[in-house]
Amino acid sequence: MLDAIVTVVENRPLSGGHFVLSVRSPCQAQAARPGQFAMIRLLGHADVLLRRPMSIYDVRPGRNGNQAQPEPQVLDFLYKVVGRGTALMATLKPGDRVGLLAPLGHGFFAEDYLAEARGGDEVLHVAGGIGIAALLLPARELAAAGVKQRLFFGGRTHADLVGVDEFSPYVSETALATEDGSLGHHGYVTAPLSSYLEAQPGKRLLILACGPWAMLEATVSLARRYGQRCLVSMENRMGCALGVCLGCSIRVQGEGHGSYERVCTEGPVFWSEHVVWGEERLPKT
Amino acid sequence: MANGKVQIANVVHEPRTPNPEPQNRQSAIANRQSPTSEFAPGIDVTIAGVRFQNPVLTASGTFGYGQEFANIIDLNRLGGICVKGISADPMPGNPPPRIYETESGMLNAIGLQNVGAKRFLQEKLPFLRTLKARCVVNVFGYSTEDYVRCLETLNTGDGIDAYELNISCPNTRCGGIVYGSDPKLTEEVVTASKRAARFPLFVKLSPNVTDITVFARAAQEGGADALTLVNTFVGMAIDVETRTPRISNVTAGLSGPAIKPLALRLVHQAARAVHIPIIGIGGIASPEDALEFLIAGACAVQVGTANFYAPDTPIRVAEGIEDYCRRQRIHLDQLVGSLKLPLSDPSRVAEH
Repeated sequence: MLDAIVTVVENRPLSGGHFVLSVRSPCQAQAARPGQFAMIRLLGHADVLLRRPMSIYDVRPGRNGNQAQPEPQVLDFLYKVVGRGTALMATLKPGDRVGLLAPLGHGFFAEDYLAEARGGDEVLHVAGGIGIAALLLPARELAAAGVKQRLFFGGRTHADLVGVDEFSPYVSETALATEDGSLGHHGYVTAPLSSYLEAQPGKRLLILACGPWAMLEATVSLARRYGQRCLVSMENRMGCALGVCLGCSIRVQGEGHGSYERVCTEGPVFWSEHVVWGEERLPKT
Repeated sequence: MANGKVQIANVVHEPRTPNPEPQNRQSAIANRQSPTSEFAPGIDVTIAGVRFQNPVLTASGTFGYGQEFANIIDLNRLGGICVKGISADPMPGNPPPRIYETESGMLNAIGLQNVGAKRFLQEKLPFLRTLKARCVVNVFGYSTEDYVRCLETLNTGDGIDAYELNISCPNTRCGGIVYGSDPKLTEEVVTASKRAARFPLFVKLSPNVTDITVFARAAQEGGADALTLVNTFVGMAIDVETRTPRISNVTAGLSGPAIKPLALRLVHQAARAVHIPIIGIGGIASPEDALEFLIAGACAVQVGTANFYAPDTPIRVAEGIEDYCRRQRIHLDQLVGSLKLPLSDPSRVAEH
């Protein structure tokens, strides 16, 4: 983990108020593992204090002058403008500087998900909105390991379903869902997920999920019903991402001191059965 | 005190030669052209017998147990570390959501989640005592017995330099703030804690009171060796779409630059009401912020919320204080309480 000031190389607008922010930082790009995240600090805005947690969407090679660099040089962050911080992020231009604390958290790798995935029949990615940002890197790693994969991707409307093209090389099938019916299944993404799980008796599946609390809760409940294991990548507001403010703690199984764990430090990826669902709702981040 | 300057008892600065040997000869030689270069200001401060190498501490609850920042900043350059509030028994904390960012500030209601005194001694203190930064252990309880029990456990620890009694957390039901909002209870818990404490006792006061001087004096009467001013201001935020509180605890403590002027006023008032040293805290994010607190009468400062988004802040603040003192050709003790008030200001008459 490194705390650095880095340079924006691109801030590309997508549909529905989504953007991909690309920053150059070879050390951090090469250290990043699937499922980790970063804290982005906007410089020069005294009213927006805290850094913003963002999944590391992608890491990719870049160029240094005329020379192509094979090792990762650039980190991409997929975000949607939802508040003051992301609205300011959307104004960033190439050459601007931002603070970047990365990579952070235990990603999917810490749960030995590769072994779990290789031992099973298929990995199902379940993404809600910008939750897809946490799943691209694991999808690429799993594809390289020869694991069969499938994507279930939901949003409010078609403009929320960004990044499908980037994801599709790694999966055999993609099921889309929108709440307004503008693209794919009309309704929640958990409906096509439920039908698929129903049609796979005897199969050993691993679900990787990231998205809003309600979607995660519904996904976890389906996983339980069909006896499949599920890793969730949690989102929460964060003060520091260093494990000291305890602002991002969520309820987990266990009594007393063990009943809360920090998304930034013990997470953001948890086995679904470890998290206590139903009692509390996390804020929309 | 005809000149309006407050005498800080208990604060001792190291004796200095008029022109002390510069610590870094190279830079001293390089700067010789500048007329102010040869003055090496003393910025260490001794509070109740505890010497801090500089007057900048990290605030409780914003710096964990120190080790979390070991890979990000040089902990040996801090004056001191106030660790996350410790209670006699471990505390789970409040349900989420626990934090919310507001304009130039943040609300938190963590609920004093901590590992408890025993595990602190076993797991956290061994690292802290290897540092040059002084270790100040923030102590919290639900009753006077809790505070005393926690202190008695901590007393067995090797490497604690001082205690900071938290009688001002706004985020636990019937928690410390009950003590912090009743001057009689303040004096009672401070008296009992002082009697139990093996190390110097700082008392962290709540700003959520009508008259801070009443509570500052009550803590002094109880035997506090120093005061930390202030804890967070009770605040609130509402999500208008769902019409629900942004924080599960409904109310929460506001910190960050938004509270700096409020905290500064309280330090200014308390410094004129007591003779024990004051450690100023509230929204400090720059050297200038810290200088304001020092001039108002604090002999040291704590950096809190800024640690979350700019962990180098305490070191930058310490460097900035040293630069200022060098520029002004004064030592830290000459700066503390040096506020020049208008002749007509009633607080020029110290209320001792």
